[in-house]
Amino acid sequence: MFDQLAGNLLFGIVLGAVYGLATMGLSLIFGVLKIVNVGHGQFIMIGAYTAFWMFTLYKISPLGSLFIAFIIGLAVGLIIFYTIIKRLTGAPELTTLLATFATGIFIEELAKFFWGPDYRGYNWDLGRVDLGFTLLSYSKIYALLLSIAIAFLIYLWFQKTKLGMAIRAVVEDRQGAMVCGIDVQKVYALSFALGIALTVTSGVLVTLFVPVGINPYMGHEYTLKAFVIAVLGGLFSPWGAFYAGFIFGLLENGSYTVLSSIPGVEPFSLTRTVTFLVLLLILLIKPDGLLGGKNK
Amino acid sequence: MSLKKYYEFLSLLVFYAVLFFLGLAIPGMWQPVSLIMFYVALGQCFNIFLGLTGYVDFGYVAFLAMGAYGMAIAVDLLHRQGLGVFIIFIGLVLAVLMSTLLSLAVGAVALRLRGAYFAIATIGVNEGFRYFIEGARLWGGSEGIIISGPLRQSLGPQTVNYLSTFVADVLVFLIAILAAFVTARIINGKMGYAMMALREDEDAAKVIGVNVTKYKIIAFVISASFAGLLGACAWTLKMTYVFPADVFLITYTIEAIAIVMLGGAGTLLGPAAGGLIYGILKYYLAIKLPGLQLLILAPLLIIIIVIFPEGVVGTIKKRGAWRPWNS
Repeated sequence: MFDQLAGNLLFGIVLGAVYGLATMGLSLIFGVLKIVNVGHGQFIMIGAYTAFWMFTLYKISPLGSLFIAFIIGLAVGLIIFYTIIKRLTGAPELTTLLATFATGIFIEELAKFFWGPDYRGYNWDLGRVDLGFTLLSYSKIYALLLSIAIAFLIYLWFQKTKLGMAIRAVVEDRQGAMVCGIDVQKVYALSFALGIALTVTSGVLVTLFVPVGINPYMGHEYTLKAFVIAVLGGLFSPWGAFYAGFIFGLLENGSYTVLSSIPGVEPFSLTRTVTFLVLLLILLIKPDGLLGGKNK
Repeated sequence: MSLKKYYEFLSLLVFYAVLFFLGLAIPGMWQPVSLIMFYVALGQCFNIFLGLTGYVDFGYVAFLAMGAYGMAIAVDLLHRQGLGVFIIFIGLVLAVLMSTLLSLAVGAVALRLRGAYFAIATIGVNEGFRYFIEGARLWGGSEGIIISGPLRQSLGPQTVNYLSTFVADVLVFLIAILAAFVTARIINGKMGYAMMALREDEDAAKVIGVNVTKYKIIAFVISASFAGLLGACAWTLKMTYVFPADVFLITYTIEAIAIVMLGGAGTLLGPAAGGLIYGILKYYLAIKLPGLQLLILAPLLIIIIVIFPEGVVGTIKKRGAWRPWNS
């Protein structure tokens, strides 16, 4: 029992790093453009399919797919920004929510149209390491390290480069940034594309954790999870989201362990309900995030 | 209650009547008409919340599902009591009760939140509840409830057949009329002004003394209880089964949003126009291009949002109100 709990919690931390990375894009887009991307999970799905096709068609390992996914994400992000989002800046919230929602559904349906609705999977087997209380596969350890590395690189980029600073300035004070001569439209485009690119990239790492494989509708689950994590992390801050990913991973795997000890229930389904209840609870008690993000 | 205020509602009644008699008079027409009517009703019900308050509820289908379950549970539990057709009334009452209870629970939490936060809170309602039913093995779990047998036992096969092929559709007509009437009453009454103020600027409405939370909850609960009725009639009575994987489908939420936005949110005629356009489109797409409705619907929704943010009826109304000599 103890070994199982310890194993599950460790797995929660590893998965949490990927969750955190998968949510940074959502928080970045919300922080800069004040748009909630309700179609968030579908971009994770794009990344997952990128990893799958690169691996099965060209024998490219998920490591290589990370770069490809990032480029694809930037391109998709720019296309969506200039065709849809740009026309909606300053529009009421209802409009942007519906637009991102419809965009997500469109992406999902395109994926289903071209690749079919069935589950697909691939196996990137690198062996396992025995930790005494549990076995952990090397591919998952890579996922943990890569998530932290990518988050750190993005952090450096934000701190050290002029563009990163411009984005931070717009988050801080839109009008002030404009007065200083920052091209806000360009910052919007860049942030949106970067947010989508990060999300698509994280989708590659997500494939290392899905035992049943990937399908076009996998995104919904991650949209919900990403919202819980983003709200935990304060919604505005990508770094808050990254840390909150760990909390969420622990919470999810911890509650799974507890629920599977109750007879007569299906712990996997109930864990999803718990996720939703946690979201409601945080929104109710502390809508500006447990990690102390600022609200409006 | 001056009649002039209700011209739109009366013209809507004429539209429903024409549709109803077209369905009855032309052989083979009843099926497409009942499909169109389902979407008109769905639009009317959803409009009471989305249209009047300007808040998006991404989990709306959960309330239809509650209604579907309410009817199924009533029939499943009571079919041995010899209640006859009265069992359907109990089912309808239970359907409304269950969707109202869920909406009160969700609304009490989510409606304290503003705009985007509200949308985030509702996005998991349908999946959270679906997985709760499946995970806790509530109400048959993922196997659902099948009521065709119990219904036949208590009412006889002919009545059941009549019920699911005709009466269920007529009930959907009645729901659409009732929802439109309630919408008309709200728009023309004091609550309509409060809603308009709240939709335009919630803070300002609050400052001038409008109890925004109260009105939001009223609209949310009314809209949800109508959804419950619709779920009970259009799904359980018509199909005679309930499966969680079917009734919690996010597709219906998307369809409801598309219909309201297509016609024009917050107008009385909008959902009817949206439902008519969408119903016809869906009926022919389902024949011509099966399985591709969402692939066509999603970009359509994006185009509507970007080009006609006010919907078809809303845009025409604006054009009508445009007076060049005044500007």
